[in-house]
Amino acid sequence: MSRSYLFIPGNTPSMIQNLDVFESDAVIIDFEDSVTSYDKDSARILIKNFLKKYSYKDIDLYIRINSYDSLYFLEDVKATKDLDINGYVLPKASVKAIEELNKLSSKAIIPIIESPMALLEAKEIADQENVTALLLGAEDYTKELGINRTLLGTEILYARSFIAIVARAYNIDSIDTPYTNKEDEVGLKEDSLNAKNLGFTSKSSIHPNQVDIINQVFSPSKEEITEAKRIVKKALDNTKGAFSLDGKMIDLPIIEKAKNLLDKAKKYNM
Amino acid sequence: MKTSAGSLESSDCLITISDSDKLEIIIESVVFAQFGDQIKEVITNTLKEHKITNILVKCADKGALDYTIKSRLETALKRRGDINE
Repeated sequence: MSRSYLFIPGNTPSMIQNLDVFESDAVIIDFEDSVTSYDKDSARILIKNFLKKYSYKDIDLYIRINSYDSLYFLEDVKATKDLDINGYVLPKASVKAIEELNKLSSKAIIPIIESPMALLEAKEIADQENVTALLLGAEDYTKELGINRTLLGTEILYARSFIAIVARAYNIDSIDTPYTNKEDEVGLKEDSLNAKNLGFTSKSSIHPNQVDIINQVFSPSKEEITEAKRIVKKALDNTKGAFSLDGKMIDLPIIEKAKNLLDKAKKYNM
Repeated sequence: MKTSAGSLESSDCLITISDSDKLEIIIESVVFAQFGDQIKEVITNTLKEHKITNILVKCADKGALDYTIKSRLETALKRRGDINE
């Protein structure tokens, strides 16, 4: 139920040892794109020693390992499977890759949907054991489609919608792709609101400066919390399955949604 | 054989190791006066942990914490084939 997922490079001590100051609900330590081939071993050893020495109870920690078809997948998992992390972020996700990861570890898996084939397989991917969320990787997805990304994001509208729908249908979280212009706060807020309105539960980021806006957007508003409290209170007083509140019909799905919203608000001390 | 690991970025250190017929540790650090002994202790303990006695270790430190110094040394050792993990 995290609102924000921040990627940090897995071989950069200055970022790693400060991961608790960025105020991201979840941190993804990256072994993939931000670590050169030469330093993959270095990152594994650094993170192993770091997590043996320090622990974080209030932050969800994930490691983005290298993809199943890479030379580094097996070593990445072997080196980290006994560490105190919430799970793995799996790039270039496929059903086969998740099955192989599940043979090596029982930790949570967040597959990155970053190819047209992965998007077509999204339902099967969401249905795999230990999968707790889907993450859209729009950079690789658009690269494979042979199209350019725009700040407006209309080219990824279908992928976003589909991932949000699949994740909700399978009762797992959905994490939106990072907003790549780290200087544009207005654009980031608009992009985050677009994702939230499509049904995403959270958004990933590549820069600590983006976390605050993402947390704001994906937090329940005061009005939403007040409304949810009224619904839950009236539901407790009501003996019928459905009832009317301010002229609107309130039934079980709406009551459950209000309860979920209050759980989220409670988690973030709102 | 000489191997190295790490970098000269802030909060990191560059460890270089090479053959020697005795244990030698050379430390360059901007915080040597305050932390030189501690850096040497981390290096010594890491070598002991891996039962390595004769080696030359050069550490160019940029304010690395203990876990980073240990990690960079272990990576350099691994690259030389001194350890397997």
